[in-house]
Amino acid sequence: MPSRADWRRGVERALRAALVALLAVALWRSVRASRPGPITVTAHSSDLREALVQATTTDRAGRLSVDVDGSLSRAQRDWLAALRRAGVQVSWRGAPPSLAASAGRSREPVARVRIRVLTDSARTIVVSDSVGVIDSVHAAPGAALDASDVVGAVTARAGNFAATADALARSERRDVLVLGRAGWESRFVLAALGEAGWHVRGRLPVAPGVSVSDASLLPIDTARYDVVITLDSTAADLGPAVARFVGQGGGAIVLGSALEIGALRGVVPARASERRPGRILLEGDTLTRADLPIRPLVGARLDAIALERQPSGLAVAIRRAGRGRVAAVGYDESWRWRMQGGEGGAAAHRAWWSRVAGLVAPERSPASAVAAACEADPAPRASLFEALGPPTAAANLADRPASNRLPLLLLVLALAALLAETASRRFRGAS
Amino acid sequence: MSDFVFATAQYDSGDWDSAPLLPANVIDSIARYTAIDVAPTGVIVPLAAPALFRYPLVYLTGHLPVRFTAAERENLRAFAQRGGLLFVDDHNHDIDGVFHKTATEELARVYGPLREIPNAHPLYRCFFTFEDGPPTTSHELNGWGDNLVHKTLSGAEHEGRLSLIYSSKDYSSEWNYHPDNKRFLSVDNTKFAVNLVVYALTR
Repeated sequence: MPSRADWRRGVERALRAALVALLAVALWRSVRASRPGPITVTAHSSDLREALVQATTTDRAGRLSVDVDGSLSRAQRDWLAALRRAGVQVSWRGAPPSLAASAGRSREPVARVRIRVLTDSARTIVVSDSVGVIDSVHAAPGAALDASDVVGAVTARAGNFAATADALARSERRDVLVLGRAGWESRFVLAALGEAGWHVRGRLPVAPGVSVSDASLLPIDTARYDVVITLDSTAADLGPAVARFVGQGGGAIVLGSALEIGALRGVVPARASERRPGRILLEGDTLTRADLPIRPLVGARLDAIALERQPSGLAVAIRRAGRGRVAAVGYDESWRWRMQGGEGGAAAHRAWWSRVAGLVAPERSPASAVAAACEADPAPRASLFEALGPPTAAANLADRPASNRLPLLLLVLALAALLAETASRRFRGAS
Repeated sequence: MSDFVFATAQYDSGDWDSAPLLPANVIDSIARYTAIDVAPTGVIVPLAAPALFRYPLVYLTGHLPVRFTAAERENLRAFAQRGGLLFVDDHNHDIDGVFHKTATEELARVYGPLREIPNAHPLYRCFFTFEDGPPTTSHELNGWGDNLVHKTLSGAEHEGRLSLIYSSKDYSSEWNYHPDNKRFLSVDNTKFAVNLVVYALTR
């Protein structure tokens, strides 16, 4: 059975072995530290570019940590995503607000730009374009404003964060062709669209074989026209051409008896039913759109979208047909709205017709506008999540203290082992 | 589908009904030459009434001095702004006559200064073609009234469209007969009335 002295010598040998092991670990760490290895790059939004360059140009970048305290551009997000795919551990933290912006320009010759902003909590958002500030809105959760025009991208900014949306540039509109019998409806549709800035041309039969029309109306194609309006069945001879025009991407508005034209049945969203008279006006009454005579739309196709309803039925519906769009309108004698609609009747009639024409007119965006739209960043927070995932918890991002204190711990343990082994030998009288 | 209704303006001053046979004659011509759906009888519409806006083409004539009331003036102004067309004819055929002097003065207050309508205007080509502008009336050739053959009409525009046509040619006398009597004419003298209506309905 081992004596107490044997136990003591065993412990001393164990302490010497531990000391050697600790020195070996320290030596290994020292040798390892002298070799180049992965580094951690930390950056804020404002100096992210330098960090991205550093993380990209060195082969030792192991981790890139971003403190998102301002908007990241689309390019920066893509850059971070590319680094992640290249093996760099990319993480981010921060609380960017949910902020989104959109800017839409109707397809009318004189079109205002509608800007919408959304945010997750009540805050003041400054809306600007490339020229300067347009307005500021208190959005909670959203707000909309109209601008007569914008130049370049629209930016909605809340503090250091911004969302950008591109309002497509005003595109050159082509003509509108009105086909209908000579009468007040044709005349005032022509007038309303002309006053709204559309270039209008018409073919209005007046007598058998005689039409009042502009020169060189044919062919009906998208190179000449944006929209064809067929007011009644006098357009029957051009029905196939109008259907072909829609298939090519043109827009059509079809009313009343024109909805029964055989060649158009395949493209119209609905049929017109029996005519119902409008409201009887008393002395001094003014007329609104709801008071007009109407042929309610029936038999709507499954893909038709109802745009307007009146108590007597569906008044306006729209659908895509081929590459174009077709609107069916049930209102009859809309000119009465203009003439008998009081002071605002003419303007309302004009705006309504222009809006419906804009709904079916094809989009004609120049290539530069499409490129600009690609640069827009309408919902930066959502895009950040999509590119990099959710933010990393703060504790995970902090440098681990244990790894930094390890050399000290090794030193303390080595000294303790050395001291204990030396003391043990001295106390038992060994040298 | 609404028929075209020929409307004659009734105003407080003067003799607005001085050409009672004219509407039927014009309606007959429209039905005779065109496929326009036309109401078989005309209507009389007070200038100051809201009913004015139901008839975007209105005919006004007379011999006597014209003084519009404030309500008539205001209604006419709105009528023009909404796209209505007023056709005024001097039944006196006399530029020194009381109708011409007072009517042009009143009309200028509503429409602004009256300007000459060029003889190349679509008004003269939209259905029948009148190469020389407004057709001459027998009353001009007979030397009645001011003893002048007026080469042009005058008018005013709103948004690029005629909102007023003023004539000193006395079409009110020229067209004021029963339509059945057209058969006695070698050339129908109401053809220009058809142009007026076609222009109003298409431009």
